[in-house]
Amino acid sequence: MTPLQKPHLDYRLTLGIVAMEGRGFEYPSDSFVAENDKIYVTNKSRDYGERGVRVTILDMDSEYFGTFGHYGVSEGQLISPAGITGDGNGNLYVTDDYANMISQFDLEGNFIQRWGTGGSNLGELNGPSGIAVGIDSYIYVSDTKNHRIQIFTLSGDIVSAIGSQGEEEGNFHLPWGVDVGSDGKVSVADWGNNRIQRFDSNGEHVETISAVGTSKSQLNHPSSIVVDSRGNRYIADWGNETVKVLNSSSELIQEMKGQATLSKWASAFLETNKEEGLSRENANLDNLSALEDTEDPHTVSAHIEKLFWSPVSVKLQKENLLLVTESNRHRIQVYEIK
Amino acid sequence: MEKIEDEKLELLSHLIRRAGFGATRRELEDYGKYSYEDVVETLVTPKETNWMGDYLVRRFDGEASGMINAPGSARRWIYRMMSSDTPLKEKMTLFWHGIFATGVPKVINGRVLSDQIEMFRDHGLGRFDDLLLRLAKDPAMIVWLDNQENHKNSINENWGRELLELFSMGVGNYSEDDIKECAKAFTGWTIGNTEYMMVRSKRDSDWPYGRIAYHFEYLPNDHDDQTKEFLGHQGNFNGEDIIKVICNRETTAKFIARHLYHFFVADEVPVPSWNEVAPRDEEAIDELVKAYFDTDHNIAGMLSYLFNSDFFKSKNARYKKVKGPAEFAVGLLKLSREFEIPDRDMIPRYRQIGWMGQELNNPPSVEGWHEGQEWVNTGSLIERINFASELLGNQENAGIKELIDTVEEAITENSTPEQIVDECLTQLGFLKLSSNSKTAVADFANGVEENRAKISGVIRLIGSTREFQMA
Repeated sequence: MTPLQKPHLDYRLTLGIVAMEGRGFEYPSDSFVAENDKIYVTNKSRDYGERGVRVTILDMDSEYFGTFGHYGVSEGQLISPAGITGDGNGNLYVTDDYANMISQFDLEGNFIQRWGTGGSNLGELNGPSGIAVGIDSYIYVSDTKNHRIQIFTLSGDIVSAIGSQGEEEGNFHLPWGVDVGSDGKVSVADWGNNRIQRFDSNGEHVETISAVGTSKSQLNHPSSIVVDSRGNRYIADWGNETVKVLNSSSELIQEMKGQATLSKWASAFLETNKEEGLSRENANLDNLSALEDTEDPHTVSAHIEKLFWSPVSVKLQKENLLLVTESNRHRIQVYEIK
Repeated sequence: MEKIEDEKLELLSHLIRRAGFGATRRELEDYGKYSYEDVVETLVTPKETNWMGDYLVRRFDGEASGMINAPGSARRWIYRMMSSDTPLKEKMTLFWHGIFATGVPKVINGRVLSDQIEMFRDHGLGRFDDLLLRLAKDPAMIVWLDNQENHKNSINENWGRELLELFSMGVGNYSEDDIKECAKAFTGWTIGNTEYMMVRSKRDSDWPYGRIAYHFEYLPNDHDDQTKEFLGHQGNFNGEDIIKVICNRETTAKFIARHLYHFFVADEVPVPSWNEVAPRDEEAIDELVKAYFDTDHNIAGMLSYLFNSDFFKSKNARYKKVKGPAEFAVGLLKLSREFEIPDRDMIPRYRQIGWMGQELNNPPSVEGWHEGQEWVNTGSLIERINFASELLGNQENAGIKELIDTVEEAITENSTPEQIVDECLTQLGFLKLSSNSKTAVADFANGVEENRAKISGVIRLIGSTREFQMA
């Protein structure tokens, strides 16, 4: 029997800086690495403000290529961008969980079309968040507040839907991230039910992942999952502020808490703002002993900057790199898959 | 099912308006299955619940999770108040925020402000000594009152002064020397990474990766370990010793008793006048002081006494307190269920509460807000009525739809406008209107033909009455 392949992830670098507009992120909700190797990051902004909502374009070397999809209700504008994906043919698709629409852009950020109507009937949307394009060239949308996954053609015609509200197998409660693997299997972060559910290409339930590791620790409101071609699963365990790596048999093989360092943009800021940079050098930002009274991971991550804080999305770049987008830290931690 | 007496439900309605944010008839009937005393006991000793709301608000309102600024902290708190099943815990959090008023102009970090609110929630019903000690170590308070600048060789009296004046005993019960000695005892009580955090705060910097929460740090080398004299006691006092002395004094018990009376029973004059104006019910204050010492300084013990007292239960005490803006708004948000899942429309709701005069996490000064009649002026009253009208008038809100359905089922085609108004008041939680207010609402009902429109209009109009502004 061939032993299961066990990937091991090593921290590589951090991308981003908090910024209310332009170069940087503010409450990023998702990221996507397109075929041009550029990274597209959706930002919800602080208070959905007019400046902060945008899609930021950069690459792995932190080169900045501008923004698009700014705040507004007109074509090409977004109110609350929640998820982003691409079809590998020069098109990006962005969900807007307030406008209940999906907008299509090219890789330069030029608007192409949009669709979507608020409601609960088949084809209507209520708070769409996670989005993925399958090998069948259909778009899979996590229709969050309708508690289902809806499947559309690339031009927005409804194909079918998976699931309904509930706790049973095949039901969802406020689903978030969605991924379609190279085998056509659909993986859903069933956020409110504290589990991942997987379905075959016909929408039949094939697996539930809820407790992992030898201690069978419960997933806590997972936000995102991505599955590589070997079947390894990478899960953003949002409520536990960790990223978990499972093999194709769903055995836990690595759990990461985050180890961010200064990004190029962050370093440039601290070099320019010397008073802040110098005082930061003198600070101990890893002082876990001050947090002995709390086990709440959300609180710990609020204090220790390098740790994941609200990891909302895991995405792959050519199966070599894993990108972890952290909403509350306005950055992306990148891990190398070995 | 045995019918619960209306009188008991009216008393419970009074209790939940004061100890919570109000309750509908259905909710009151659930409370009514238990004795009044048991309901009080449940309120003052709340059990931890598996509350999903914190996850919901963090997911659907990013700033309520990352809390770069105060509005994120406030929105998280507002959502908690409107959806919590431990209402007194939330009410006490609001109570302590009004007394230990800490705000964003100096604590430029929403997360740190939120941590203080969480501390009030977790410990606001416990021993006052414990709460005061946690307050002294609370990073938001340390920064708010500059204790990070209170050094062994150069004291800063700000925290020491307010601890005595505004947080425990009140003016006239200590000397200027006591303030200095108190300040000395708290030297070395600071926050970790002081320099970096203060540089960021001064620059309002959230770079590079958002705010970092503060933590308490004690620096023994910066602590004055000389002998101190404080309120007639002598010793090598540290902060803990000072708090113990304060909490054993009758003046402290009286100060807390008057605050509890002011917040839960009847409006008092503003705190700065307490040194000159006697309490409106000295006997009640004396009884609460006794409860303070009888229960070993336990706030839940004092509240248990208060809610079971005749001075609280009296019909003369009802509808005598002006609801604070947050209390008023949260009651309506809870009733209407506008945000069963939080969304971006909570942002304008939060702002409206500020326009009514109470921007949470941003009190006007360390004195907090002047409460009672001062909550209401021409501008704030319009804001309050508009807010109530928007929420009560929106039939898409699940709570309002349910109310209208229930009233519609209860009335007949022969029901008079007065009977419809009475039914609405009952379903809203056994509310009472003066005859003038009731006549005005009934006159409106008389002029509307269609039943649901009539009921909806009556509920909306009740929200604009004088009595609806009162708890």
